[in-house]
Amino acid sequence: MTGPRLVSILRQGPYLIASIHTALDDSQMTAFQHDLVDRIGRDRARGVVIDVAALDVLDSFATRTLRTIGEVARLRGAVTVVVGIQPEVAFTMVALGMDTGSLHTALDLEEGLALLDRAVGPRRPVTALRGGAA
Amino acid sequence: MEATGCVGRSAAGASDAVAALIPMVRRIVGARVADVTTAEDLVQETLARVLAASGRVEPGMLEPYAIATARNVVATAWREEDRQRRNRHRVVDLTAPDLPEGGLLAEEERSAVAAALARLSERDREALVAHEVSGRDTRSLATDLGSTAGAVAAQLHRARARLRVEYLLARDRTEPPTDRCRPVLFALSSGDRRRQREVDAGRHLLECDVCAALSQPLLERAPQRDDEVRIPIDGDADVVAARQAARELAGRLGCFSPTDLTLIATAVSEVTRNIVKFAGSGEVVVEVLEQPRRGVQVTARDAGPGIPDVERALQDGYSTYAGLGLGLPGARRLMDEFAIASEVGRGTTVTMTRWCADR
Ligand SMILES: [Zn+2]
Repeated sequence: MTGPRLVSILRQGPYLIASIHTALDDSQMTAFQHDLVDRIGRDRARGVVIDVAALDVLDSFATRTLRTIGEVARLRGAVTVVVGIQPEVAFTMVALGMDTGSLHTALDLEEGLALLDRAVGPRRPVTALRGGAA
Repeated sequence: MEATGCVGRSAAGASDAVAALIPMVRRIVGARVADVTTAEDLVQETLARVLAASGRVEPGMLEPYAIATARNVVATAWREEDRQRRNRHRVVDLTAPDLPEGGLLAEEERSAVAAALARLSERDREALVAHEVSGRDTRSLATDLGSTAGAVAAQLHRARARLRVEYLLARDRTEPPTDRCRPVLFALSSGDRRRQREVDAGRHLLECDVCAALSQPLLERAPQRDDEVRIPIDGDADVVAARQAARELAGRLGCFSPTDLTLIATAVSEVTRNIVKFAGSGEVVVEVLEQPRRGVQVTARDAGPGIPDVERALQDGYSTYAGLGLGLPGARRLMDEFAIASEVGRGTTVTMTRWCADR
């Protein structure tokens, strides 16, 4: 696919920061899910922040996809926080009868990272511990 | 402005882009019109037209379009002033056309339409006449043509766009001066921004007076076209196109809050996804209602397998494939009116409405 990037996934310490830059269709949303789950394993991430501020809607499919990401990440040992849900989008999700399930949410990126720090605990040198045990 | 959050962005973006054109438009008009008050009126009129068309032209074309519009607006004002000066000594108001002239105009109109129709391909002409004149719907046309309702809707959209171009050319008895003209005019008429970029429509408008003059009626279509959008649905990407078109049209009414617009866009997303998942293709029509109240109505139709048990499909938690449990009941909750007509083997039509809040 050419053109501007639809999403970006950046690493910051033990966390991944995934930003969605524009409205995504279902195929793009699913591709994003696969890419992100891949990266969680590859980067041994302990936390993931997904910034959805640029999404125009969070309909049933988008919400479900985010929940799936959260569940899969949890099974792989990472905590997921969704940030940037716009007020009108949040209101619509309530009206639609949808919730984010076990997903954590926070107002913005900063709050999201703070939440991860609390949930994951102090940033231990993960790779060093593993190296010691082997 | 900031409080409107992400919903306000596209509308605010358009007016910001138009606002950025003000100095340039002032220069163009100021160079041609001496009277300051008249000039400012013409500047405002130009900006209003550019803003109205901004949704149908690709962003890079806004500036050339504003230049062409400013020139047209000034030229029209000159003609008007000239006519008034010539008629000033007359007592009778000549602005109301008398009957014989009206009849002549109708005759000219008819022959222009006939000439325009003659320039369409036989396929387009037949589809257009069957739909517009005989009132056949896209589904029955699709059955005849061995095609899908979505493909027929797309064909009709293209045929209408082409007809508008040919009609204007026939009416003005104009033959386009270059072979780039028709592709440019067609891209403008269909509102296809990608195509506008490909044919470099903006540059052409600056170079070609004929197309610059025709760009106006093409981009400012008759009011009944302005309050209706048809989106052929053929895949995932069209779900996004449909919900964005609905948001844009509803936003133009000015009576919906950012939350209302997101509710509408989300409902459209849900019902359009149903078309893609169950029928493969179809069409979504978004239109402005004036009666019984002001509002926006969305019709999503397909010629797919149909829903055997509509009542059950409207219950929460019902889904025939993963992820759609909330689709129809969710959309129903977001809109004020919601109706489904479905026939197994023939297809499904969802009609839903959201009324403007009374203020
Ligand atoms: Zn031309």
